Amino acid sequence: MNHSIFSLLALLLCLSGCAVTAKHSEPQPVRSTASAVGDNFANVPVEKANDPLLRFNRTVFGLNDSFNNYAVRPFARGYAVVVPLPVRNGIANFFDNLQFPVRFVNSVLQGKLTRSAQETGKFVINSTAGVGGLIRVSDHISGLANVPAEDFGLTLGVWGIPAGPYLVVPILGPSDCRDLVGFVGDYAISPLDWHTLGIIHCAYISNAASIALSATRYVNGLPKAIEAYDQLKSEAVDPYIAMRDAYLSYRAAQMKK
Amino acid sequence: MFTDLFHRILKSALVPLVLGSVGLSNAASVDDPAAMLRSSTDEVLSIAYSGHGNETLVARVRPLLEKTFAFDVVTRQAMGPGWRQFSAADQKRVTELFTELVIRTYSSRVVGTQRPKITYGAPVELAPDRREIPTRVSNSSGTEPFAVVYRLIKFPAGWRIYDVLIEGVSFVANYRAQFDEIIQNGGAPAVIRTLETKLAAPADSHS
Repeated sequence: MNHSIFSLLALLLCLSGCAVTAKHSEPQPVRSTASAVGDNFANVPVEKANDPLLRFNRTVFGLNDSFNNYAVRPFARGYAVVVPLPVRNGIANFFDNLQFPVRFVNSVLQGKLTRSAQETGKFVINSTAGVGGLIRVSDHISGLANVPAEDFGLTLGVWGIPAGPYLVVPILGPSDCRDLVGFVGDYAISPLDWHTLGIIHCAYISNAASIALSATRYVNGLPKAIEAYDQLKSEAVDPYIAMRDAYLSYRAAQMKK
Repeated sequence: MFTDLFHRILKSALVPLVLGSVGLSNAASVDDPAAMLRSSTDEVLSIAYSGHGNETLVARVRPLLEKTFAFDVVTRQAMGPGWRQFSAADQKRVTELFTELVIRTYSSRVVGTQRPKITYGAPVELAPDRREIPTRVSNSSGTEPFAVVYRLIKFPAGWRIYDVLIEGVSFVANYRAQFDEIIQNGGAPAVIRTLETKLAAPADSHS
């Protein structure tokens, strides 16, 4: 129930965001100057991000920042004390392995059949030799290492759907219209959510257990996430822009893989 | 997806360590950017993992980073087209301050990270005096490896780094985006004020 409300909310947020006209300025070519070594770099214009909801986004960014400071960080520190790093890494690997259907389905949807076969190989090997996915054995096998992870946001991009405006989502953080739709799509493909979505009915797995698994995955990722967030903030002169550029550049690079 | 991004950004925590690893260029590597990256890796990793306290790390890595990075080029790029409007004195001051920020960033990231294993790809020619070298960084904790690309420029004294891309996120482009609005609103004085405020804050500040 809660999940369907969230999905609806996500879609509404996205649709309202997408209704805003996208303004994209193409980067101009680098003008070469011979005045000094490397001087031509300074002429590269700043690429304008597609962020028409800037004021709204900055507000949400500020709210998320408070949430991180007063709720997430103390909790994440406590969790990190109780659960040591090697265990957290193992749990993260376990959940990453479980997300295999998401990567497999999206590889197929993008027509990347070799990649979908690699994902299957990774899943089989990490689930068996990697003790149920706790250890990333596949990273040491050439041909199975360095397989770019696909998701539905990337699939939509490959299908030619534009990213739309940049969005900062409450609690979840940076996204854009396309990735928010992708997030909902991947939610349906993720095995962790099959039960709550009514895809499988198993007498031994209750709704509560399914939600508990998702919660474990979220909580386990918090210490790393908050560490990364603090790192970004401590280095940035404008954390909002730093995060926006990092998100958009990272997703653009993923699209090219 | 969202936490995935955080993890990716976190991975960049290892990168300055790798940056530091390219510190000591020697005579043999003056003409070979790949050799420059490779030859000094172990040397600097050894410094980072020598067992000395973290508090002296900034001082110990500073000379290495000054030999490794083209800090003037890095700064010029990070300021973007607005750099041209800066006075010579402002350019000098901004370069000093931004260099300090980069060096601090480096040393804060080294703390608490594990010694990584680096795999080097073949250099790609961007221009006669510029190369791009892809690397892959993995660590012993068994988490997912990540991609780091170095961009180097040739000086008479040898190759120097002018940009680093972590999973597609360019270090200088990220700062250029941040400084764009600051320069448009307040020019060089605003940049200097912002950097001075940033550097005056404690290194572990979350505010």
